[in-house]
Amino acid sequence: MTPSSTTDGPARIPGQRAAVIWGTIATILVVASTIGVFLIAPEDADQGIIQRIFYFHVAIAIASLVAFAVACVAGILYLRTRSERWDDVGEASIRIGLLFSVLVVITGSIWAKASWGTWWVWSDPRLVTYLIVVLVYAAYFVLRSSAEDDRKMRYSAIYAIAGFASVPLSFYSVRVAESFVHPVVFTSSGANMPGTMLWWFVMSQVAMIALFIALLEVDLLGRRSERALRRLAMRLESA
Amino acid sequence: MVTARGLVHAYGERRAVDGVDLGLVPGERVALAGPNGAGKSTLLRLLATLLRAQSGSLEVLGEQIPGGTRAARAGIGYLAHDPLVYLDLTARQNLELYGDLYGIADRDARIAELLDRVGLPGRAEDTVRTFSRGMAQRLALARMLLHRPRLLLLDEPHASLDARGAALLDDELGRAAADGRAAIIVTHEVERVARVADRLVVLRAGRVVLDEPTAGLDPMSVRRRYEEAAE
Amino acid sequence: MMALVRKDLRLELRTRETIVAMVLFAIVMLAILQFGFGTRDDDLTRFVGGLMWVTLAFTAVLGVGRSYVAEREQRVLDGLLVSPVPRTVMLGAKAIAIFLYMTAVEVVVIPLVGIFFVKGPYWDAIGWIAIAAVLANTCIALSGTLFSGLALFTRARDLIFPVLFLPALVPVVIAGAGATHAVAGGPHDMSEWRGYCLFLLAYAILFSLVCVATYDAVFDD
Repeated sequence: MTPSSTTDGPARIPGQRAAVIWGTIATILVVASTIGVFLIAPEDADQGIIQRIFYFHVAIAIASLVAFAVACVAGILYLRTRSERWDDVGEASIRIGLLFSVLVVITGSIWAKASWGTWWVWSDPRLVTYLIVVLVYAAYFVLRSSAEDDRKMRYSAIYAIAGFASVPLSFYSVRVAESFVHPVVFTSSGANMPGTMLWWFVMSQVAMIALFIALLEVDLLGRRSERALRRLAMRLESA
Repeated sequence: MVTARGLVHAYGERRAVDGVDLGLVPGERVALAGPNGAGKSTLLRLLATLLRAQSGSLEVLGEQIPGGTRAARAGIGYLAHDPLVYLDLTARQNLELYGDLYGIADRDARIAELLDRVGLPGRAEDTVRTFSRGMAQRLALARMLLHRPRLLLLDEPHASLDARGAALLDDELGRAAADGRAAIIVTHEVERVARVADRLVVLRAGRVVLDEPTAGLDPMSVRRRYEEAAE
Repeated sequence: MMALVRKDLRLELRTRETIVAMVLFAIVMLAILQFGFGTRDDDLTRFVGGLMWVTLAFTAVLGVGRSYVAEREQRVLDGLLVSPVPRTVMLGAKAIAIFLYMTAVEVVVIPLVGIFFVKGPYWDAIGWIAIAAVLANTCIALSGTLFSGLALFTRARDLIFPVLFLPALVPVVIAGAGATHAVAGGPHDMSEWRGYCLFLLAYAILFSLVCVATYDAVFDD
């Protein structure tokens, strides 16, 4: 992580090793949890094979929330330090978190089709919430692309903080509404899972978070290399 | 009054202000000149605390920026290209607003005094929309002086002031020196400002290329010094 | 802070640009929505919450989007920024102005919607809806100030602002519509009303924390 490595020619870009290590860990975990989920975990008595999507659906959902939380913290740190680094972390996290949220909506939709026979159920709080979350964070990129330089970073940081506040609000608004329409209490899915299911669920959760970190590291590495390249080009130009 | 060291402000990769050192003592009036795009307005906005420097240190009126920004702002008078007044409020309402923003104790008396000085007492109850450009800029002058600032930051004041406003400003700058206030005047017309300035600072490509007293120089020699430096 | 609020109100009184447009917009919007899904169904009471809050949300977008129009068009913002007023106070004043504008619109819209759609004791229902509206206005004012400040110096700001603001308004619309629905249909369901109002209160508290944390940075170039 020494600054000299970026200025002294072909040396390593800092963070390269972290990206490789996390990439490896994430690959192993994702492969292992996929095998586990499809081949080892017991089949759900009611839903059959489609229930297996649950492992990814919920794990990706939680990983996306982790990503948005990281972006919120990065936003606070950016406003404190005004360091480009935190803007990078924030944008990369939201990019990955948004990708994950879209996956949540898609997997949720597949699950809904399989178990309720329809692609979209407006009364399902999870699907609707994630739709709002996708909208909130898609707006982040609209905001980013229409501001410049310092302002772009500052606005992004502020929006990442405000966006993260509206995530729990969306969750609860949908659930408050839900609780009056259907007086059914949603029990957490973890509570009545058999032991092996729970184990594989935890495994896929860890895998998804590792995947997030790996993607983040790779993304950050890409940004650093790009910046180093630009600096080099500028030096060549002025030389 | 102002101490800047290695001040940098970049728009993206382009450094508009690139390592500026500048010091200002009480009573000093500095003409800040330079070709278009040299970073004059950016530097002035940095000093006015409207922009944040990306590196370097800045002290304004004894306050570290950022940190003591609020205290420093209370002593800054800023005159921009735009008069910075609401067109749909009357002259008096605009000054009342600024008076409240600065927390001036003798607001109404002060407003009456300044309206009188800038020659707008009869127009106090008219909206600024009905004013000519020169009148609006004279109101801006009143706005700037309202809170008795100790540091005047003027962005090409002579470009938009009418003859009456310009005379008022020169008079004010003359008094400022005697009161121990300081001023920075961004300008294109070096020889025009040379009469009221004690020092000439020339910027080029975001850097200070000339910083010297103008005492004893006639306007034409000041102009020459500027052109030599700015080339 | 009150000096800034007074300034906004004075400008509004003189130009009468924003509030009049907002009220007219809200009425047109209500009529359009009503025709949009009203003709086949005589009893629209069960849609009243939706009608009212969709209208108010879009009216808020219209009105809040104009909240810095004088500062921007007449280029006065630097004058405020160079003064020793904390940014938080500046934005707080803007939030109060937005709150008042929304209230002015609702004074017209809520009784009007009530006449057409509310069943049971009229003033009773209007009163409960008004309380929910005050809470919702606080939410709208807090988040609206933040997002309109963010959109102010972006390209295509008139498009950016609704894109930022509307997703954040979804919870407010859900809760406002829910609270309205709970008291509009004759017998009041007060526990439902209370649930939504508490949610709006939570939204207002959470967003005021966000605002306190970020307002200073919005205009700090």
